[in-house]
Amino acid sequence: MSALKPRRRGDDPDDEQALAMIRSMFEAADPVPADLVDRIRFSVALAGLECDPDSELARLSVEEAALARGAPEESRTITFDSSSLTIMIRIDSNTDGTVRVDGWLAPPQRCRVEITLADGPVMTDADAEGRFAFLSVPRGTARLVVRQAEDGSGETQPEQSGAKAVTTPALMLL
Amino acid sequence: MDEQLATVVGSTSARVPGPAVAVDELVPRHTPMLWHVARATGLSKQDAEDVVQTVWVSLLSHLDTIRAPEALTAWLVTATRREAWRVSEAGRKTRPADNEWLLAIPDPKANSEERALLAEEQRTLWSALHTLPERCQELLRIVAFVPRPDYDMVAERLGMRRGSVGPTRLRCLDKLRVAMHAEEGRI
Repeated sequence: MSALKPRRRGDDPDDEQALAMIRSMFEAADPVPADLVDRIRFSVALAGLECDPDSELARLSVEEAALARGAPEESRTITFDSSSLTIMIRIDSNTDGTVRVDGWLAPPQRCRVEITLADGPVMTDADAEGRFAFLSVPRGTARLVVRQAEDGSGETQPEQSGAKAVTTPALMLL
Repeated sequence: MDEQLATVVGSTSARVPGPAVAVDELVPRHTPMLWHVARATGLSKQDAEDVVQTVWVSLLSHLDTIRAPEALTAWLVTATRREAWRVSEAGRKTRPADNEWLLAIPDPKANSEERALLAEEQRTLWSALHTLPERCQELLRIVAFVPRPDYDMVAERLGMRRGSVGPTRLRCLDKLRVAMHAEEGRI
């Protein structure tokens, strides 16, 4: 606890050390709620869709009504278009009440695919043919974010002027 | 300078994803700081969660007013504090800091000696900190979480006269040292 012993005037490293101790004390004492970051990211994403119409936002290109009216037993297919990418997903019901989401990217490419759910994001990777799958996803609100593979993991995606992400609108998985 | 911030603020590149996606990447990094800024004003946990969420969403529509990347931290901290005061005044919810966290500290006997010492130390620090004037408590908690390079700009916006924050911080730390001695003498 030397940082809080009497100090020499203007001894800055001691001040920094004292502040670091205060920080770790509050981190232990009053931690950020575990799911707060994910809930905020979800809110930001939804708000961003409303106030930011010209971002790389994939647009629903097949009737939304088909999604709403889809019979639970049947698989539903939804397609999103953006300037650089088309995302098609098929939603199937699992017997345990969750859903399975299979997706295809066109043009085919290795990508990191994230599905953001009410209780947090889940990641998977699309293979070289652009296929990806989330085997068991709870029903509810979700959106997909497709990111260009990070350096090294996707030889088909040379780094250009920064990573690119395509976001779908929020979906209701039924 | 921070590459991510540079990407968000003032970006004109067509290849950069929309602001929502860029802000999305900043949220995990800065949310802890904003949580502690909100809680330092005395808000309940539930209110603090709402405040931090509101601030992030409102950042989306203010991005174009934040010219320099360094200003982002200052904007976030100032907006959080303002929103926290608005909420606590609206609900008259200001109340003394709670002690519920004490229950969350693991039983020292069940852990390593190091960890036991740390917990004990933190309890003493907590007690000492809470003998300080509220202004010092809030200032030290905020300063402890603000990244060093952004500190000057944040301090300037905390409603203190320019140039007075450094000395105030020193005075608060001195008071804390004295209080720590008193607490340690009590054991």
